[in-house]
Amino acid sequence: MPLDTSAYSLALLRVDGRRWNELRRVHAQIRTQAAADGSSYLEMGHTKVMCVVTGPSEPGARRGGTTGGAGGGGNNAAEVSVTVVVAGFSSVDRKRRGRGDKRNLELQSTISNALAASLHTHLYPHSTISISLHVLSQDGSLLAALINAATLACVDAGIPMTDYVVACTAGSTSTYAANDEDADPLLDLNHQEEQELPSLTVATLGATDRVAVLVCESRVQASRLEGMLAVGVDGCKQVREILDRVVRDKGRKMVSEGTVERGIGLESMDLD
Amino acid sequence: MPREAEPSLNEKQFVLQALKEDVRLDGRDLDQYRPLELTFGDQHGVAEVTLGKTKVLVKTSAEVTVPYPDRPLDGIFTIATELSPMTAPSFEVNRPTETEVLLARLLEKTVRRSGALDTESLCLVAGQKVWSVRVDVHVLSHDGNLTDAACFAVVASLRHFRKPDTSMEGGVLTVYTPAEREPVPLSWLHSPFCISWSFYGDMGEIAVLDATWVEEQVRVGSCTISLNRHGEICQIAKLGGTPVEAVALLQCTSVALAKAKELSGLLDTKLAEDAKRRDKGGLLAELSAENDR
Amino acid sequence: MAKFGPKRQGPRSDIPAKLGRTHRQEHLNLTTTHNGHHRPPPRPPRRPYPPSLIPTHPKHPLRLGPGLRHVPPSSILPTVAGQLIVNPHKTSMWIESNGGRYTPSPSDLVIGRVLRSAADLYYVSLSPYTPPASLPHLAFESATKKTRPQLAPGALVYARVSLANRHMDPELECVSPSTGKADGLGPLTGGMVFDVSPGFARRLLLARSRDEGGVEVLELLGAEGVAFETAVGRNGRVWVGSESVKAVVVVGRALKETDEGRLGGEEQRRLVKRLVREMR
Repeated sequence: MPLDTSAYSLALLRVDGRRWNELRRVHAQIRTQAAADGSSYLEMGHTKVMCVVTGPSEPGARRGGTTGGAGGGGNNAAEVSVTVVVAGFSSVDRKRRGRGDKRNLELQSTISNALAASLHTHLYPHSTISISLHVLSQDGSLLAALINAATLACVDAGIPMTDYVVACTAGSTSTYAANDEDADPLLDLNHQEEQELPSLTVATLGATDRVAVLVCESRVQASRLEGMLAVGVDGCKQVREILDRVVRDKGRKMVSEGTVERGIGLESMDLD
Repeated sequence: MPREAEPSLNEKQFVLQALKEDVRLDGRDLDQYRPLELTFGDQHGVAEVTLGKTKVLVKTSAEVTVPYPDRPLDGIFTIATELSPMTAPSFEVNRPTETEVLLARLLEKTVRRSGALDTESLCLVAGQKVWSVRVDVHVLSHDGNLTDAACFAVVASLRHFRKPDTSMEGGVLTVYTPAEREPVPLSWLHSPFCISWSFYGDMGEIAVLDATWVEEQVRVGSCTISLNRHGEICQIAKLGGTPVEAVALLQCTSVALAKAKELSGLLDTKLAEDAKRRDKGGLLAELSAENDR
Repeated sequence: MAKFGPKRQGPRSDIPAKLGRTHRQEHLNLTTTHNGHHRPPPRPPRRPYPPSLIPTHPKHPLRLGPGLRHVPPSSILPTVAGQLIVNPHKTSMWIESNGGRYTPSPSDLVIGRVLRSAADLYYVSLSPYTPPASLPHLAFESATKKTRPQLAPGALVYARVSLANRHMDPELECVSPSTGKADGLGPLTGGMVFDVSPGFARRLLLARSRDEGGVEVLELLGAEGVAFETAVGRNGRVWVGSESVKAVVVVGRALKETDEGRLGGEEQRRLVKRLVREMR
């Protein structure tokens, strides 16, 4: 189904009625799974993912995840092991992906390397943090949703980290073939837009301009990269606010319910 | 599985210290490539690239097969990347390491997904007969920066490759041997090149091109950018690692564009030299003489 | 020319047979030799050396070095391609080859990388993808259970091979067992290690490396005023330490280029001039 990009120039509205710099609805929850050390559920539009974190714990039997880490010599730092399971019903066509699917392995390795750089893994030598991600529904920006969910779950698990690793996608309104000078950058692409337009996934460290992940898989003029990257980084800042809100709301709720006492650890946290 | 070799603490510390003083072990500048050499084999489609001590051999081959049922009009184009124990004992056959998977994905995204090869032109009879072009990447020795060397070799090999000429007459497909008709080059749209940056320092503030194996072992992050000489980005992969300032990444892209243009020029020269070497008026002259009679 | 003692009778049971890898060899390059050493004529492959080549001494037993194999009763066969060197003064002979990886043999000085520490020894890697050598915690100068050096995984040590056997992992020591002194062995701090070929490392290790080994880059660099210190491991690793990072890089490049380019004396002098100019 070709995307009617000409409609954009008339009303400046995208197929789903958003403007160029609007995110889709982001809905997130933490501590959804009682059995896990940390867990989260995240929706970015119709992309829905769940994440479960176990650890830091003793390295047990390898579960086939992709590990990465800033470890280096010996086991001086915890390794971050990530598995991504894409549910068969998550997209329109039921495609079976094998265990050794290279795209999946690349996703796992990206998430693991991105988190390993911002988690304080050196505090947990000889241990493993295993992150298990489940994709329930796909509608574009998959890598971004996975990174955000994994960050939330790590926060829930109480693993010390420098800042949130937050991600979103950015695109451009015309294809590479059309050498359109006044092409607008777009924020947070859905599946349909991702198929038709050049796009990239950006993950930043918190609200800074420092880019942890930058993945572009489509052809695009180099001159348009700057605009797309700027919009993406800006989107990440918005996502960070949303995720931070989720964490604080949960904290406040737990205090009011008496699940946790308002203790020393929470004094510094702004629970207005 | 044998453990992968690893540099000692002294080596790690020294390489980092030297990079902070803008010094590299082999005396290069931070954004300088090692000498890149490209040689073509006797057959069309065989290219060997040496980048310092990194060596990659690529062979392209083609055969006629049945297309995939969901894409009856497209030819088949596969890139097979294999890191064998020949490269280092830590690589095993049939059990891909992360290096191997990421290399295969990068080549796939850079060359295949960017549409460098026009797969529709490989179709012979819709839904029945297509060319299947297969590129085999053999890594002979690994001293860092496999992606750039492998990508350059793949592009060189595909552009050097000639597939047998064919004709369709009255529903009969004829594939000609090289003696009957001169083989034809693939329908090639643009040449993408991978340029890999490695980052060092706490904030990833030191960016280095064409890292050697030791340098790759101590880096905190990397970013591979694929571009063609028209200034189109075909792929960017910064897969995690220490976060780097967005502005620095943009600078890396513009330097990478200049490097991609250099590589593109080098490949064009090499291809022209090779064509000159092969063109002795041999086959063509022979054929035309026959036609005259 | 070397002098030979009376021909031995019976089986040579006193020869410590030293087995290298049993490659089928094609050629023996026996054209060059070092000062004072016997120059044997070229020989067809895989044939025992004639007794006239084998040095004998009324008192000292014959010592066979790497690359030679004793087949009882009295034939000596080469096992690798290389250059045969006969030293009649020490009644020893061995084959010098410049390929492959290092095979440990006793009293070699080596540079190893600590892999991990076990209950009472360190596991040390001498070359990649080979079984590790062991270095006892107490094999350091004046080491006791409490005062032994603490080496982190990845640290470098300069050690001597104390035991090397075909069927066992080699053992190392950082102290002379007779005197109890370190003699320069021990942990290496700072600096950088460069990989060279095992043959080049041997040339560097010769007492008169300039005259016998034909390596003069280090002396030339020293004469140019570059301050540095080195430790050469027989396993093809050279450690270079200096206050200045650039000096280390220059020494390393000089060594690697001399080794890889097989540079002669004049070329080495030119190389050093060029590198020193680039450095300043």
